[in-house]
Amino acid sequence: MNTPTAMIEVRHVTRRFPSGGRTITVLNDVSFAIDPGEFVAVMGPSGSGKSTLLALLAGLDRASEGSVLIDGEPIDALGEDRLATLRLRKIGFVFQSFHLLANFTAAENVMLPLELLGRPEPRERAMQLLARVGLADRGHHYPSQLSGGEQQRVALARAFAPAPPLLLADEPTGNLDGENSRTVVDMMLQLRRDERTTLVLVTHDPALAALAGRVIRMRDGRVVDAEPAGEAAAAGVGSVR
Amino acid sequence: MTIPQYVCFARRESRRSLGRIILFILCIAIGVAAIVVVAGLSDGVREGVRAEGRRLMAADLTIEGRRPLPAELSGIVARFAAEEPRFGGATVERADVREFASVVLAPDKPDASRLAEIKVPEGGYPLYGQLELSPAQPLQTLLTPDSVVVAQELLTSLGLKMGDALQIGGVRFRVAGVVVREPDKLSVSFTLGPRVFLSAEGLARTALTDRGARVEYRAMLKLPPAATGDDAGRLARRIEAELPDADFFRTRIFSDAQPALRRTFDRMGRYLGLVGLLSLLVGGLGVAQVARAWLAGRMDDIAVLRCIGLTPRQVVILFTVQIVVLATLASVIGAALGVALHALTPRIIGDLLPPELIRPWQPAAIIRGMLLGLAVTLVFTLPMLIGLRRVPPVRVFRRDAEPSRDGWAAQGLAAVLILAGIWAAAAGQSESAWYGTLFTGGLIATTLCLALAALGVSRITRLLPRDSGGIRLRHGLAHLARPGAATVGAIVALGLGVTFVFATRIVERQLGDQLRSELPADAPSTFFVDIQTDQWPQLEALLKQERATGINSQPIVTARFAAVDGVPITAGREPVDPVEPAGREERSRRPPRNLTREQRITYGSELPRGNRVVSGAFPAGPAIPNGVSVEEGFARQARLSIGSTITLDVQGVPVDLKVTSLRTIDWRTFGINFFLFAEPGPLNDAPQLRVAVARLPTADLARVQTRIVSTMPNVTVIHIRDVMDKVLAVLGNISIAVRALGWFIVAAGIIVLGGAVVATQARRAREVALLKTIGMTRRDVATVFAIEYALTGTVAAVVGVAAGTLLAWAVVAQTMDLPWRMPYLDMVAGVAVTVLLAVVAGLTASARALAVRPVEVLRAT
Repeated sequence: MNTPTAMIEVRHVTRRFPSGGRTITVLNDVSFAIDPGEFVAVMGPSGSGKSTLLALLAGLDRASEGSVLIDGEPIDALGEDRLATLRLRKIGFVFQSFHLLANFTAAENVMLPLELLGRPEPRERAMQLLARVGLADRGHHYPSQLSGGEQQRVALARAFAPAPPLLLADEPTGNLDGENSRTVVDMMLQLRRDERTTLVLVTHDPALAALAGRVIRMRDGRVVDAEPAGEAAAAGVGSVR
Repeated sequence: MTIPQYVCFARRESRRSLGRIILFILCIAIGVAAIVVVAGLSDGVREGVRAEGRRLMAADLTIEGRRPLPAELSGIVARFAAEEPRFGGATVERADVREFASVVLAPDKPDASRLAEIKVPEGGYPLYGQLELSPAQPLQTLLTPDSVVVAQELLTSLGLKMGDALQIGGVRFRVAGVVVREPDKLSVSFTLGPRVFLSAEGLARTALTDRGARVEYRAMLKLPPAATGDDAGRLARRIEAELPDADFFRTRIFSDAQPALRRTFDRMGRYLGLVGLLSLLVGGLGVAQVARAWLAGRMDDIAVLRCIGLTPRQVVILFTVQIVVLATLASVIGAALGVALHALTPRIIGDLLPPELIRPWQPAAIIRGMLLGLAVTLVFTLPMLIGLRRVPPVRVFRRDAEPSRDGWAAQGLAAVLILAGIWAAAAGQSESAWYGTLFTGGLIATTLCLALAALGVSRITRLLPRDSGGIRLRHGLAHLARPGAATVGAIVALGLGVTFVFATRIVERQLGDQLRSELPADAPSTFFVDIQTDQWPQLEALLKQERATGINSQPIVTARFAAVDGVPITAGREPVDPVEPAGREERSRRPPRNLTREQRITYGSELPRGNRVVSGAFPAGPAIPNGVSVEEGFARQARLSIGSTITLDVQGVPVDLKVTSLRTIDWRTFGINFFLFAEPGPLNDAPQLRVAVARLPTADLARVQTRIVSTMPNVTVIHIRDVMDKVLAVLGNISIAVRALGWFIVAAGIIVLGGAVVATQARRAREVALLKTIGMTRRDVATVFAIEYALTGTVAAVVGVAAGTLLAWAVVAQTMDLPWRMPYLDMVAGVAVTVLLAVVAGLTASARALAVRPVEVLRAT
């Protein structure tokens, strides 16, 4: 599965942080690859390096050693501007705390990446996406006027707006109750299927991870167990590919 | 990204932060308004004088001097007009005016007399502009040989009405009209008394001109309509070249009307311009604070924007666009406010300026104010904006990821840029690199003092034992000491305002006190001038009879310097502008000005009190006859030293005097003092008048004045108290303007303090919620906050008042060389007012945080 066209390739990545005179190694020689269209869950206890890994994949942070390739392109050497363009074109984000722009309406939040890319008729496309997450009539609302679940659905619409080949999700249901969690997850997976998006999902929730094609388990900055693809399907959960 | 996109995003970004936007705009708008008002006023006066020059002078050209104008003048003017084909044979109109001061009295009222400025017009005065009279008839109709037209002020002060009798120079006149407006008189100019118009025939009925009254003669000329401004200049040069004794006369053309007024306003404009800039800079501090708090609150959103794919450069541009839009808006509002204030100035400064010189629409001033507003905003926010490129996008995962700090080099560069910007703005406002440097230096010094004091207090409060004092005091102190408290900026801003306002107030107060009450107990109350030598025994007897004390009299001989040490003084024409003589080259070629003008010299065997010989001796002794003592400063300027020989031209007769001593004069005695004091002998028989001083009981002043004028109408009586009151009035008008601008600075400082409080609003709300949860009442929390603001205000006030006192001392004691008194009471009052303002402003700004219900905040976090 380690094909040259892997969506993500992580090679011997180590990330250390200075902390009060000492150095903490958050990621320690991590390597793996994710194919296009794959759905991979990353699991592990708090502090195991999941979020740091996600930040490295998005080019938000830089590895101390090793390299990260997105769509075959090493991103470690890219400047801030190239990284920004890369994120704009290829990567969508969904965060635990939604991270909608507070001063932008729901529609404007979704339009933002489209406008940056100079896509035609951004408002129409945004309204379509909002309709797909069931918020067709909430476009003019500000994030503070929306419930948590609604905010996360707007975030989903924003992440999928430019149809990125890669979606990175960090505990997307961590701040939501059961009912809202299910809605958001259903919508996210539906959109992923429709758009054929590669999904890397960081989660604590075994039930959610069970929906993934593959699970990467982490502990103390190392990958301890990369469950082979298809095993989850064999367990009868149902493939999401 | 395209510019419309930036603007669109910026608009979305800045929605829903109205409070912050208002603060931001206030900070800048106040300073811009101050600058626009000041620049507008001085530009307006400049432009008004240019446009209204003819009317302000009531002529195209005037020639004036202290002696009658030579008859040749008419011939010169007529030839000039005849030789100019463009005039097509039209002639130059001429009007003549004589002006002098004299005491007038109401003969039918007891003790009603007053010093007045008498104007005797002949010909078609005024040649330009309107002389408004009541009743509305031409002056020439109202003025007959036995009638006068007077200012309302004179009627009021003498208790007269139209038709009553007024006595001038011992002769009775009937009041036939009242002056409503006089074209060639500005109310800003200093006058000795109200106006009286008198006809030439009327003047001839009095003996005033024969008896030595100091008359100013002025010829006013009006060129034919075909003439241009150049013609006036050419005629002026021609008159200077051809008029006999041209040295004794001054020519002035309409385009240079009111040079003193224009100069005053230029000078005030420079000074007040710097004051305006200071209020803008204080506003800049506030903007920096508001922007910092605002951008700090935007960090998370910026990280999200970076995740979505904005480049660092785009982030910086996005927020810069917002700042520029806000700054532009603030500048426009400030400029509008400035124009409005300018339009209101007549109400504020009364009739200080003629209404036609108030021209609120001054595009250059408006543009200057707006550009400065924009520039100050950018200079103060640019370092922060540029820092935005360092906001780490990884903040979306780790809230505590902070932007990396710029290196020392970058921070140093930013500081240098800010200082260079301030210097450039100050140099531009004062039109002087040196003043710009002084301003910047003073600002750095004061700011450093204030910042150090603020840091020091924060450090000390941290060291204080926390378990002493009440819980509220403890919390208040703790707030001040908390890391990252925005108090330093607030203290600097407020302190700068206090420094300035306090210094102005103290300087004004001490100057006023000097003029009001610092007359030495034995200073004379009254001057008597233009006394004929033969009148002196009579006047002296009268004064003694009236129980006057301190009677002293000196002869006055008027003369010109003919030569110094045998070198003739080629008396160049008096410069039109006596304060700023022409180019340097010309200045060095010309003899010192005080040698070329008419001198007033006295003689006697004993120097008056307050005179101290610093070198040589007075009298010099029989070995050196014809000695003269010269005032030290005058000697320095005129390049005279002991042993110099001065040849005087005393109305055609040469008299040699030898400088035998130099002396200093204590002018504060208000005695009769002269730069040149000769020994008796050579001047005894020269044509002369006398001047006298005496101290009279205040209650008797009016009666004595009336008695003197009834018997010796040519003697001019000047009460020092009246003159002082006039000076005080002018000083008061100026200080109103200065102080009003000073309050702009305080206002900016208060807004900055409010901004600092609003900037910490979220944190305060959280604290209030916690404290309330623990069981504090709202009043308890308000007390805690009030203590914090009071402390902030105290630091700003103490340092500001100290710096302001130092500044005032430098002005009063060092620059003006006046005695200095510590203004203890004012200092205490200054601190108290500042603290009060700080508490009120702080609590007002915290109202929202105080009103918060605990549950809202605790649930949200």
